[in-house]
Amino acid sequence: MKRSAVDVLLQVAYLERAITAHGAYEGSVLRKKPRTLASAAVQKVLEERLAVALEEQAVPVTVGSFLKLIREEQKLRPQELFSRMGVTQNVYRMLEYDRISPLRISADVWRRFAQLFNVSSENLVALIQRTHRLVFFGPSLQITLARYDARKNKAMKKETMRQAGEELFLRANLSLPVQEQRKLDMLVKAIRDGD
Amino acid sequence: MARISNRQIVEELKAGNRAGCAHLIQVYQNRLVSEAVNTFRIAIGEAEELVSDVLLAIVNKIRRFEFRKGENDFHIWVMTVFKNKVRDHVRHIASTGLPMESYDEMEGETNQGLSRCVVSAVMSAYQDALNRERDEDTESRVSGKLRAIAETLEQMETWERVLLRCRALDVPYEEIAGYTGKPVRQLKVYHARVKQKFIARLAKQYPELSSSTTVMVAHEA
Repeated sequence: MKRSAVDVLLQVAYLERAITAHGAYEGSVLRKKPRTLASAAVQKVLEERLAVALEEQAVPVTVGSFLKLIREEQKLRPQELFSRMGVTQNVYRMLEYDRISPLRISADVWRRFAQLFNVSSENLVALIQRTHRLVFFGPSLQITLARYDARKNKAMKKETMRQAGEELFLRANLSLPVQEQRKLDMLVKAIRDGD
Repeated sequence: MARISNRQIVEELKAGNRAGCAHLIQVYQNRLVSEAVNTFRIAIGEAEELVSDVLLAIVNKIRRFEFRKGENDFHIWVMTVFKNKVRDHVRHIASTGLPMESYDEMEGETNQGLSRCVVSAVMSAYQDALNRERDEDTESRVSGKLRAIAETLEQMETWERVLLRCRALDVPYEEIAGYTGKPVRQLKVYHARVKQKFIARLAKQYPELSSSTTVMVAHEA
C-alpha cells in the first residue's frame, strides 16, 4: 500500500512527540466511521482474552494487599497513610506486609480505615478475617517451608511454594480455633457497634 | 443501539464485569483497527494484533485510570496507548529499514527527487538514533533527530501547519476547514503545494542536500 513520503515523515514526528496535533486527530477518530473492520473471529478471541485478563486482575484479599494497592494506585507514600489511619509507622508497615493480626489494632482505627478508604463494613470484616487467618496460620506455613528448605531445594521452588501456600491459606476457608474466633467476633462487634 | 459511554465502560471494567470487555471492543476495536490500517498503513493482520494489545493494556491498567477533567479522558487515554503501540511498531520497522519504495510521489510535484532525498535523510538520522544502544537518553536522542521537522513547521503559516499535520493523520478536510477558517476546496488545492514548500524548507536544514535545495527554492520563488 502506498502513501506520501511527507505524510510518513509527519506521522513519525507525531508518534515520537516531536510535533502535536493538539487533540485534532484524537477527536477525529471518534467522529470518523471505521473503514476497515476487524474479523468476527478476532473479535471473539479478543473478548475472551480481555475477560481472562479482567478475572486475573489482583483483587485485594487482605488488609496488606488492600493498602498496597491503594498506595500504588494513588501514588502515595506510607507516611501519607499511617498518620491518617492513626497508627505508627511500624504498625502500618506490618499491616501492609500482613505481619500483624488485625486483632491488635483497635476498633476505632478500623472504623477510621473504613471511612478513609470508603470500604463497606462487610468488606472490612472480610478483609480482617482473611488477614487474621493468614497471620494466625503463618507460623505453620513457616515450619512447612523450613522443612522444605532443609531438603536443599532451589530458592525458586521455595518462593513458588511460599506463594502457593499463602494463596491456599487466603482462599481456603480454614476455621480458627474457638478462642481465636471469639476474639475476632468481639473485634467485629466493636467495629459494628461504633457505626 | 444505545450509545455506550466511556464512564459506563470504565465502571464495568473496574467492577470486573465482563460486559465491560464487550463494550470496550464494540466502541474501540474497529475504530482503532481502521486507524492503524488506513492512517498508519499497517497490514490488517498486524493491525488487529496491535489493537488487541492496546485493549489488553487498557483492561490490565484500568484500576489506575481516573476521570479528572471529563468523559473524554478515557478516549484520550486509549488513544495515547494506541499511539505508543503504533510508535513501537514504526520503530521496529524503521530499525530494520523503512520500505522507501512504497511511498507515493507527491501529487503534482515537480521535484520528486528532492522530497525523496530529504525524507531519506531524516529517516536515516531517525534510524541511526534508534539503532544505537538503548539508554536513558534514547527518547531525547530520537526526538532530537526529528526536531528539524517541528522547526520547519514553525516557520510556516499557521493554516499551512495545521493542514500538513492534520492531513498526515487523515483528519477530514471538513474538520481542518473548521480549524483554519479556509474553505475545503482551497485546502484540497493547496495541500500538495504546501507539502512541497515544507520539503523545500526542511531541505535547508540538511547542507548535504544544498544543490537540490537551490533548485527547489528557485522553483518555489
